[in-house]
Amino acid sequence: MTPSASAHPQASVKLSQGLGIGYRSLLAEVTEDIPLENGTHYLLARNGRGKTTLLKTVAGLIRKLSGSFETHGHCQFIGDEFFFDRELKSQAIFRALIPAARREGAFRLADKLELDVGREFGKLSFGNRKKVGLVVAEFRLREDEPNLLFYDEPFTGLDTPAREAISERWKATGNEAVRIVSCHPDFDSMAMPSALLITDGKIFRGGDGNLTWADFKEHLN
Amino acid sequence: MDLFRLTISTLMARRMWVVVLLVAIITPIVFPLFTPHETNTTLLEPARAQTAWTCAWLIGILWTLSQAARFGESNSRSGIGSYFRAQGVGSLRQIFAIWSAIMLFLLPVVLVAVATCLLFAMPANPQEASMWVWTNLQFAALFLLTIGPLALLGVGLASRFGTLIGYVVPTGLCLYGLYGVTYLGMTIRLRDDNKVLEWLYAISPQYHLADLTPRLIFKMGHLPWADFTSFLLYFLAITLVLGCSATLLFRTDPLRN
Repeated sequence: MTPSASAHPQASVKLSQGLGIGYRSLLAEVTEDIPLENGTHYLLARNGRGKTTLLKTVAGLIRKLSGSFETHGHCQFIGDEFFFDRELKSQAIFRALIPAARREGAFRLADKLELDVGREFGKLSFGNRKKVGLVVAEFRLREDEPNLLFYDEPFTGLDTPAREAISERWKATGNEAVRIVSCHPDFDSMAMPSALLITDGKIFRGGDGNLTWADFKEHLN
Repeated sequence: MDLFRLTISTLMARRMWVVVLLVAIITPIVFPLFTPHETNTTLLEPARAQTAWTCAWLIGILWTLSQAARFGESNSRSGIGSYFRAQGVGSLRQIFAIWSAIMLFLLPVVLVAVATCLLFAMPANPQEASMWVWTNLQFAALFLLTIGPLALLGVGLASRFGTLIGYVVPTGLCLYGLYGVTYLGMTIRLRDDNKVLEWLYAISPQYHLADLTPRLIFKMGHLPWADFTSFLLYFLAITLVLGCSATLLFRTDPLRN
């Protein structure tokens, strides 16, 4: 019998009802217990409603204002500003940060994303710079440990083929990590099997597994 | 370890280390030739020693401290600091990862200065030669104990206040400790009733104690071991103060967050 895809250690995030996020004043509060397991969960909200704040809170970068949450797994937070030195080439970044055994896969994904790994980071376009961070995070997943990946607007600046390649990768490796991805989708048909929504100061879970961005966007205020 | 490797890769990619190393190797060989060494051959060797160590000071102040400030700021502003902190790499581990990578690039400069003095300026007299070796080794230790903590302070300051503050403050402190304090001491001797100046002198970092160039030029021999131990303890105390300040100042994300 071959090991099943679900053999990978299970990571989890549990946001408890009453968890309050914000810097000095309350920005939003969780209205129901939200358990998240391995897979991709989109975080949807309009600007300034607390997407980044929620991700930073569960990543342990800022303090919660109230309530509680639990995380289980090796955490990576990839902010919307995640950049490297201008003179550093992507291949050098991969060599420094990605374990040798997984590096080949990283170069393959970079190739698929049409990322020129021999070019200095400072000479890459905005979208290509985002790809470097994405590849680094994806190939720093730990094989025998539960993984948590918190992406803050990773699709900004990425073209459609690149988004599709990333989505494919997430689908194929969905059992390897809990991915929470904040984004502003720009096409209605984008599938969102699981989504967290922040609107009117409330954080709640939406979706029944078959919804798309078109179904969610009307709920955002 | 990942941040250390990333910092090393970045320093390698910037390639300035090649220029720095070439300057450290070539300058002590070439510059002393501009002295009137044809008429006085005894000038050449002390001039080499002086140039080698002056070069090391300049590289430490101009390059090492500027790199420290640059890395301190970029770590907090580029999202790399937050990225590693989310993975459980705390502030202390981050600042030391950055600092040790920077210091690793200063070590060859110190080795070149010592090697230049030992290979191209070694006294012929065996007793002087032995003292010469020890003076250089003492100099290397005190030099590293001066630049190292200042670089750490640079990383910490820059991560919070930006590259400019992160460079100017440690550099100002270094120059003040090397030269300014001596003038302050002279002023106090001329007007011996000024308690404020005396207090200022007492708390000032006496970095001029780490500069053993005059001992090399005038072949004064190495520092007596009791003095050297006192100096070491004094600089270790400064290291403790600057190290604590740097780690308290260090931020993994920008101040606005």
